[in-house]
Amino acid sequence: MSVETSDPTPKQTVFIVDDDPSVCEALCDLIQSAGLTTQQYSSAEGFLDAWTPDMAGCLVLDVRLPGRSGMELQGELAEAGLPIPIIIMTAHGDIPMVRKAMKAGAVEFLTKPFQDEELLQAIEQAFAMDRARRTAKTLEDSILSRLAILSPRERQVMELVTAGMTNKEIADSLDLRLVTVKLYRGQVMEKMKAQSLADLVKMSERIKAP
Amino acid sequence: MGADPNRISKWLAEFVAKPLGIAVFFVFLALLWTFPLQHVIAYPFVFLFFGAIMCSAWFGGYIAGSMAVVLSSIVVTFFFVPPFYSMTIAREFRSYVAAFVLCAMAIAAVSSSRRRSESAVRAARDQLEIRVQQRTAELERSNLEITERERQLRLLTEAIPQQIWRTDANGAVEYCNGNLVEYVGMDTHDLRGEVLFSFLHPEDATQFYQNWDAARIVNGKFEVQARVRGVNGSYRWFLIRSNPQLGANREVACWYGVHIDIEDQRQAQQKLLVAQDDLARLSRTLSMAEMAASIAHEINQPLTALVSDAHACRRWLNGQPANVERAVASSERIVRESTRASEVVSRIRSLFNKTDHVRESTNLNYLIQDLARLLRDEALRHDVSIKLRLSENVPSLMLDPVQIRQVLLNLAMNGMEAMTTTTGIRELEISSEILRSKEVVVTVRDHGIGLAEQVKAKMFDPFFSTKPQGTGMGLAICRSIIEAHDGQIWADALECGAAFHFSLGVNA
Repeated sequence: MSVETSDPTPKQTVFIVDDDPSVCEALCDLIQSAGLTTQQYSSAEGFLDAWTPDMAGCLVLDVRLPGRSGMELQGELAEAGLPIPIIIMTAHGDIPMVRKAMKAGAVEFLTKPFQDEELLQAIEQAFAMDRARRTAKTLEDSILSRLAILSPRERQVMELVTAGMTNKEIADSLDLRLVTVKLYRGQVMEKMKAQSLADLVKMSERIKAP
Repeated sequence: MGADPNRISKWLAEFVAKPLGIAVFFVFLALLWTFPLQHVIAYPFVFLFFGAIMCSAWFGGYIAGSMAVVLSSIVVTFFFVPPFYSMTIAREFRSYVAAFVLCAMAIAAVSSSRRRSESAVRAARDQLEIRVQQRTAELERSNLEITERERQLRLLTEAIPQQIWRTDANGAVEYCNGNLVEYVGMDTHDLRGEVLFSFLHPEDATQFYQNWDAARIVNGKFEVQARVRGVNGSYRWFLIRSNPQLGANREVACWYGVHIDIEDQRQAQQKLLVAQDDLARLSRTLSMAEMAASIAHEINQPLTALVSDAHACRRWLNGQPANVERAVASSERIVRESTRASEVVSRIRSLFNKTDHVRESTNLNYLIQDLARLLRDEALRHDVSIKLRLSENVPSLMLDPVQIRQVLLNLAMNGMEAMTTTTGIRELEISSEILRSKEVVVTVRDHGIGLAEQVKAKMFDPFFSTKPQGTGMGLAICRSIIEAHDGQIWADALECGAAFHFSLGVNA
């Protein structure tokens, strides 16, 4: 198992939601034996109360829960835009239920009882997804913060540069002298910490993409 | 008295003028004929005057007769008694004239009284005649009324959209209305004297005669639902109701009956039954599925914990270095979870084992007869006849009648369903017998598709079914019920069909 958290993202935890304390305990024990941290909750409500967006990791969720069901919790998290990878467990999975869970973005659907490898592989996959999402998020945040220090003129120049216009075309369209455009362009490259034009275009693409 | 001129003149005309006229007329006639005739006969000839008096009295009555006597006496004295043409009478003729007058008076009296009695007779006859005519007219009128009323009544019986009949005390047809004639396709003439009930379906005829015989004992009405054969040979369901009409000695004079077509209702009822049946089966299947899901969940929870704990235990021991402390904790949880799993299993078992025993002294034959009655409609639907062959010396047993009825019902329904696709004998036989006075054996025998060897081996197992919508619980439940009664249940594959038996101990 190489679910090592070598990158700077916060420590990943497996959140287990099952109303059966024995199952909860056993799953925690199993996951801890793989060297991972766990937290257990006995209901969907309990998990929602404790949840904060900076909690990294994944959710191992039982379908049949008192109060809100596992599927309902999945729907609510997706609606609230809280992107945490989810592994669904059930004692009696029928095809429509599996299809519904997978469509709603579940990483894996496990039918109880399951083997350790099945669960741990699913967790590894979920962690990778979580990590990728968090890295992407961090990158976007830093680009946005750099963008914030640009002056309005510099931002205008950056937009036109990334749209593929030459310095001459930019000077004409903004009614500036060529020398001034070159100056702005140099400042943009410096402030955005871009190594090349390609780098700058990539940054602008990333923040433009929804 | 006030003298009314009109009445006086009327009186005068009636009692003076008319008799006088008649008397004068006849006496004058006699006088005219006597003159020529007296030359032929020497003796004073007076006989014609007797005729005149007789005629006057006859036609004019007593008064006219008396007047004719007076007139005749005067005329005879004047013309024909010497001395002629004078009113004096010669001495020797006095007795003659007296005799004449006496005779004349007698004739007048006799004639007028004859006439009176004659008139009285005639008047009586006339009156009688009038009476007869009146009576005849009345009779004709009432006859007409009766005919009209009868016509109306007949119209009514023809117009009623039911079939109506009247039979004599023994059931021979005396009258049928048009609807009935049309339905059975024989005209009234052919039907007359025919036993109407020969049109009943043979299977329903028994029921009909039972009800009729019961009604005959008490001279009461009866009612039965039966199939009646129509002109095209097909049967329709009718509600037959009949009332007896009692004679003077309180014996049945005739039976009046009506056939009400209930085929459509019956079919609707059948459809409803089928729908209910399907619904019941569906809900049974659904609840089975739900229960299975719930049981799976109950068992899977401890199993999941067990498997996870076992894996964790192995992983702790395989670690470098091995974490014995955690491994021990995991293995302790394994023990705990195993206990819990077995508790879940025994709890589920106890769900199906009802511990409250009901044991009542029950006659199995009654139970079977009861069931056969219950299944009458179901049997009709499967086109199967149920035959009972019950041993009379079956003793009452201590058993749970509800459960044993369920066993009987299950076996009977299975038997009927086994015959849905076969074409042979359509008979389900339920029999009871006592063996070595120790146990009662009940057999349900069908002529259906029979039992394959592999079916026979597994059919009492739970969840084993050969039916597409079967739950596979029917025979399993039967077996658990019979075993709870310390009995046995088994089946024989026959050449045609199958026989299911169960035995119950007499002392159980």
